[in-house]
This record gives sequence, structure tokens and C-alpha cells, in this order.
Amino acid sequence: MTLRVSRRQFFKLGAAGMATSSMAMMGFAPDPAIASIRHFKLTGAKITRSNCTYCSVGCGVLIYARGDQAINNIDDIYHIEGDPDHPVSRGSLCPKGAGLLDYIRSDSRLRYPQVREAGSNEWKRISWDEAFDRIARYMKDDRDANFVTENDEGNTVNHWTTTGMLAASASTNETAYCTHKIARSLGMVAFDNQARV
Amino acid sequence: MSHAYGNAPTGIMHPPEVRLPDIEHFAHRARRLQDLAERNQPLGEFLTFMAQLATAQQVAMERFTPGWQPEPTAFVLALEHGMPPLNVQALQDVIDLPGEVDALLSALELHVGEAQRPLLTALRELPEQTGRQLARQVLAGEAGETHHRGLMPLVAAALQVAWLRLVHILPRTPERPQGELRALCPCCGSPPVASVIETDPKSSGVRYLQCGLCATQWYLERSICSVCEQSGKLDYLSLAPEAGDDDVSVAQAEACGDCGSYLKIFPRAVDAKAEPLADDLASLTLDLLLGEEGRYRRSGFNPLLIVED
Repeated sequence: MTLRVSRRQFFKLGAAGMATSSMAMMGFAPDPAIASIRHFKLTGAKITRSNCTYCSVGCGVLIYARGDQAINNIDDIYHIEGDPDHPVSRGSLCPKGAGLLDYIRSDSRLRYPQVREAGSNEWKRISWDEAFDRIARYMKDDRDANFVTENDEGNTVNHWTTTGMLAASASTNETAYCTHKIARSLGMVAFDNQARV
Repeated sequence: MSHAYGNAPTGIMHPPEVRLPDIEHFAHRARRLQDLAERNQPLGEFLTFMAQLATAQQVAMERFTPGWQPEPTAFVLALEHGMPPLNVQALQDVIDLPGEVDALLSALELHVGEAQRPLLTALRELPEQTGRQLARQVLAGEAGETHHRGLMPLVAAALQVAWLRLVHILPRTPERPQGELRALCPCCGSPPVASVIETDPKSSGVRYLQCGLCATQWYLERSICSVCEQSGKLDYLSLAPEAGDDDVSVAQAEACGDCGSYLKIFPRAVDAKAEPLADDLASLTLDLLLGEEGRYRRSGFNPLLIVED
């Protein structure tokens, strides 16, 4: 005999089918259950897989957000828990990871570029374009002034030691690749991807 | 990691991938159904009857010895090759169905109300061939003929007992199903009734699918569709109670926008006693609302509630 694997079947379980359902045929009136649905409406939630950004372990997390497809509002995140399917962390989170929800909702969370000018004690909001322009300008000026092509023994070194870069801890492979390419091709040597902050 | 001062928490290292049902499973389910019956006014009578049915299943399971027994080595080959050893199509015609039905009805008879008594008589008087036909329809997830539909959940209950018996004589626990079989029961190949998110320390936060027939539970990653394995368009839909209503339902529908199906999921963190099959019956309102809304179709297989499409 051939063994077939059962196919998953879909069906509509609606009020219309209840009159001929086994429940009705067994003598239980489905009407009260059908009537009760007008007391309710549906509410939706989404669960998104992500990584904790605190350290290089990169524990898996599940992020719960209210609303369905139509709503994509980051403030709607209401719960975060460890992802039990994650091969590294298996659902566990350290106290920092377990507090991620407060980190997302924190009043002092950095949401846009800010600058504190030399001599000032105030943070001023700037645009991303302005931020990139300023960073590029500072990097270029510093590199032009301090780039070293040869060391004392006359060996070619082509390095730049006066500026460093601290990148995110839980980057994807692709992000890490791009970050590395940018930093190293400028000759930058002080460079860390493990931000223990 | 034990030492003189106790145990160091190790986290979940290797949660069990397949969990076979307890020998008392029907008794647990009966208690859960009775609890749910008391909380759920519109379905109270129905759930009370289902609790009586589950109690009768437990009695039948303990007292009856079926006329057909598998060979001691019958399941070795299937287990070795990762196929469901208790495949429903292979065994549906050889199990002692008349014996199982008779044992179940005898256990049920004393407790059943007047309105349901004719069902028991009708099922006893059914020719064996018709009974076998109903069993085949139940196991194939078909709705059968309208005039026999009231008998099908009773046949299904007898089948559940028969399969739970077989699960308990398996020489070992099967492995988690692979590939296309991933969402089918590793013991009997039936589809799941619903899934549950565990709070047990050994598998905290892990999701298990539960078989609609033999109640075996098996691992499936969280937040993916059990039918198409996509996760991009999954929504977790539940009932929003009216203000002032404090009886929050634990049931959520894991609804997939990619394949248009849903399967219920019960987080035990919300209700520690949730039992997928019992809670599935008790959350019929969620199905009805989703049915009216029309975006998703149900994939859960619950042979105790049979509805014509």
C-alpha cells in the first residue's frame, strides 16, 4: 500500500456552516456562540525577529508590536522577549537585553544627529546631510594632516592613526563588510566593531 | 551546572523536539474542558459534553484492551527513516474500531444527557462498514454526510483513544519531522489542531504544534506560518473584549497573508493550563469572527468539531 502524506486543508469556519456542523447535529445550538461575536472585534499584533544591539553576542529577540500590516509605528512596540529558536542565545537574555523595551521607549534615546559645538554646552539638532558633510570634512582635514606613508625605517605603511571608528556591535555580515572596507581603505587602524556600551 | 550552592541557570540548551502525550492526557483535557465550560456561557453545554467525552476517553483508554495489536517490530523501519510510524492511512483499516467505539460509548453512557442519548444508540447500531467509512472521513479531514455528522466526533474520539494507545507502545520518540513533513505529526502524519507556546523551564518560549489526533507535540520555530513557512505577512489576531470584560481569551490566530490560512496559537504565559484541542473548541468565537471577516481560512484539524465548507 502506498502511504500518502496528508495534505493540509483550509476551510472557512463561519456562522453559515454552523447550522450543519457536528455541534448542531449533536444537539447543541450554535446560535448563542454566533450571536456572541458581535461583542467582539479583532485586534492584531506583529512579531518580528531581531537581534539585541547591546553586545557582540547578538542574542535573538522577538519584538511584539500592536496593529497589523497597515500600521507601522515604532512606538507601538509593547513587548520584547528572547527568541527561543536563536542558535546562540536559545531564548535567554541578560538584564540589559531583558530591558530593551525601556531602551526603545527611553526619553533620552538618540533619534537624529545632534552636534555640540566646541565651547558650547548645548546639543543642537542637525540634518543627516549636514552631519555627513561635517564628518567627512573633519575626516578629510585630519587625514590630510596626519596620514603616514612611510615609517622611520622607510617601509611603506599608509596608515592613519589619529582618527578611530567605533561601529555597532550587532551588525549583519553585509554591514560589517562595508564598514570594514570604508575604514581600512582610508588607512584607519583604530577600529572596533564591539561597542560594549 | 550543579554545585554546593545550588544550580547555575543554564538557559534552554536543547528543548525536546517531540513530546509524546502523557498517559493521563484525556483526563487533563477533560479538566480543562470543564474549566472552559464554566467560563464560556455560549458554549457551556457543548464544552461540558466534550469534557464528559474526554473523561470517557480516559476510562476507555485504561480499561479496554483492543483486539488488534501491532507486531513488536512493526514501527522500527518507519522510525529509522523518519516517517510517521503510526500513519493514519496505513492503520485506519486494521485497528479494532468496533471495540474502541464500544468501550468509549460504555464509558460515556452513564453521564450523557437525554438530548445526546440517541447519538449513542445510532452509533451502536451502525454497520461496521459504515463506521469504518466515517473513520476514514474523519482521518482525511472530510465533513462527511450531514445525517452522519453528529456521529463523527464520537468516532473521532474513539480514534484518538486508539492512536494514543499506539503512541504509548512506540519503542522510542520519533524525531522532529523534516522538510515537507515539518508541519505534520511525527507519530501519525495528521495535521496539527493548534500550537502552544510553552512556559516549562526546559523549553521556555518554545512553540509546539499539537496533533489533532494523537496529541503528540512537535517543535516549530516561532513566528513562521505552519502551512507555507513564510513569516513576512504574519499577523496575530485575537478578540478585543469590550471595556469592562475581564475574561481575556488566550487564543490568537497566527494568520498568514502569504497563503491566506490561520492556525490558532495559545501562549501558556497568558493561561498556564491551555490545552490546544480543548482551547480550540472553546475559542470558536474567534473562528466565527475570522470566518465573517473573510481574509483567512482555517488550517487547524479538530476532529471533535466537523464543519462543512
